[in-house]
Amino acid sequence: MTDMARSRAHRIAELPFERVESHNQGLFVSTRAPLAQIWKFRELLGLLVRRELKAKYKDSSLGFAWSFIKPLMLLLIYYFAIGQFLGAQRSIPMFGIFVFAGLVLWGLYSEILVGGTMSILQNAALIKKVSLPREIFPLASVGSAFVNFLFQVVVLAVAVIAFGQATATWDVFYSVPAVLIVLVYGTALAILLSALNVYLRDVQYLVDVAMLMLFWLSPIVYSYQMVASAIGGTWLEQVYLANPITVAVLAFQRAVWLPGPATQNGLAELGVDPSTMYPADLDIRIIVMLVVGAVLVWLSHRIFLRLQGNFAQEI
Amino acid sequence: MAASQPEAIVESPIVVRLDKVSKHFVVRKEKSLKERLVNFGRSRRHREDFYALRDVGFEIPLGQTVGLVGHNGSGKSTLLKVIGGIINPNDGVVERRGRIAALLELGAGFHPDLTGRENVYLNGSVLGLSRNQVDEFFQSIVDFSEIGEFIDTQVKFYSSGMYVRLAFAVAVHVDPDILLVDEVLAVGDEPFQRKCLAKIEEFQREGRTIILVSHSSAQIASVCDRVIVLSHGRMVFDGDVEPGLEALADSFTHPAPPSSPEESA
Repeated sequence: MTDMARSRAHRIAELPFERVESHNQGLFVSTRAPLAQIWKFRELLGLLVRRELKAKYKDSSLGFAWSFIKPLMLLLIYYFAIGQFLGAQRSIPMFGIFVFAGLVLWGLYSEILVGGTMSILQNAALIKKVSLPREIFPLASVGSAFVNFLFQVVVLAVAVIAFGQATATWDVFYSVPAVLIVLVYGTALAILLSALNVYLRDVQYLVDVAMLMLFWLSPIVYSYQMVASAIGGTWLEQVYLANPITVAVLAFQRAVWLPGPATQNGLAELGVDPSTMYPADLDIRIIVMLVVGAVLVWLSHRIFLRLQGNFAQEI
Repeated sequence: MAASQPEAIVESPIVVRLDKVSKHFVVRKEKSLKERLVNFGRSRRHREDFYALRDVGFEIPLGQTVGLVGHNGSGKSTLLKVIGGIINPNDGVVERRGRIAALLELGAGFHPDLTGRENVYLNGSVLGLSRNQVDEFFQSIVDFSEIGEFIDTQVKFYSSGMYVRLAFAVAVHVDPDILLVDEVLAVGDEPFQRKCLAKIEEFQREGRTIILVSHSSAQIASVCDRVIVLSHGRMVFDGDVEPGLEALADSFTHPAPPSSPEESA
């Protein structure tokens, strides 16, 4: 026996056994061990995010520019079709920035959900062959969507500054909880849906269809004020505001669009009080949404852990 | 009986322990929502239970090279995946310790659009190496794989031989305590296969455990010091190589599954 073998034997003899039992564990097993596993693989998580970003536009000559072209195209469509032709411009000053703020945030949510739902299936080769904490695949989708989002935020910031809409108010900090809400709910849903999609492939198509509808359920191309004047004070309004993305979009608009001088002037000319552009209890709604979202992340992770024992054979 | 001697317990601690491990698959014929709804009432009929492993139990000490053999569909690969933690058993307990590297498929997780260099870092990370460790081994990985200047080419342009050589080179640099090998040594040209076998012998000298699935009796006889024979998900033999290979030949001639678990030793 060589020295190397002997030192290995002594090292192993000290190690505790890692115990795996049948996968039918309860919902309330320890969270710490799986989280420690994810932490151990954080470098891989970073590499996977980089892989997704690199591989996405690898052989295209425009490369990363493509991730701007889609939101800019959408911006043009909504700006002209809804802003100019349908006349939303008349009641929403600085409509371009208004729409782009909503689109950028929505883009983050939709990319997390669509990418996250597919993440487990797309990494089938790894899941079938290597023992890894599988949560890192939906998390990598969240990461790459977030990086894309940051690039688009740069464009948004440039636009806000170019149009002279940058102001020094505290409202700018509403953007932080706005993005956090999207990340928290996006993560919870990505983890849950990625696991469900392994067992029921329809989930990916359901997500596509749901995203089409959810887009119009948040005040992205129309304003909250229009909703409030239609269903304000009714239970329908409460249902509308129970959508976390709606709250996130409202907070984001309040940070990016509302404080701009042109927005304020335009609203004053229309005789509209700027505070009608968001619900009066926005702060409390943000806090509630974040707390509920954190619980949902935990819950969907538990469900994921239960379902993942059979991934390798179901894929 | 296992080839390990009792006095060697400190020298060769147990690294893998399985106790009454069973794995059954429920083969569902429908996967889409429509099919499930349409067949909701009858879904029992669309389920098919299939035991891939039944009451398998053994212990493997450090430093042993174990061959898992059996006919096609006997559960060898499932057993290897259960040991590697890729699928969980339905019943029983799996205990293991030490760093495991699974060569179940070379290049799993190679992304075709990334270069060889990027894939080495990605694959190394998948197998549990830190960035610094890959930095340290990088030259040695490239040398072992004989890829040379092509390391900065996208791997989709690699020949299958280059692909496998690079993947194997990463895997053997992971410094595993337990190496799981599934048939992968059957790939590559002859010089490369010799290189792989030389690497396995080096691993044996370094006191690592190797668990290997193979259909080649010659390969098993030349590298293993213990054989586990599976037949229809049951362990029918566990012990020395020569009687093991005879038991394997027997299991081919008696293909019917035994009605009760028959542990021979």
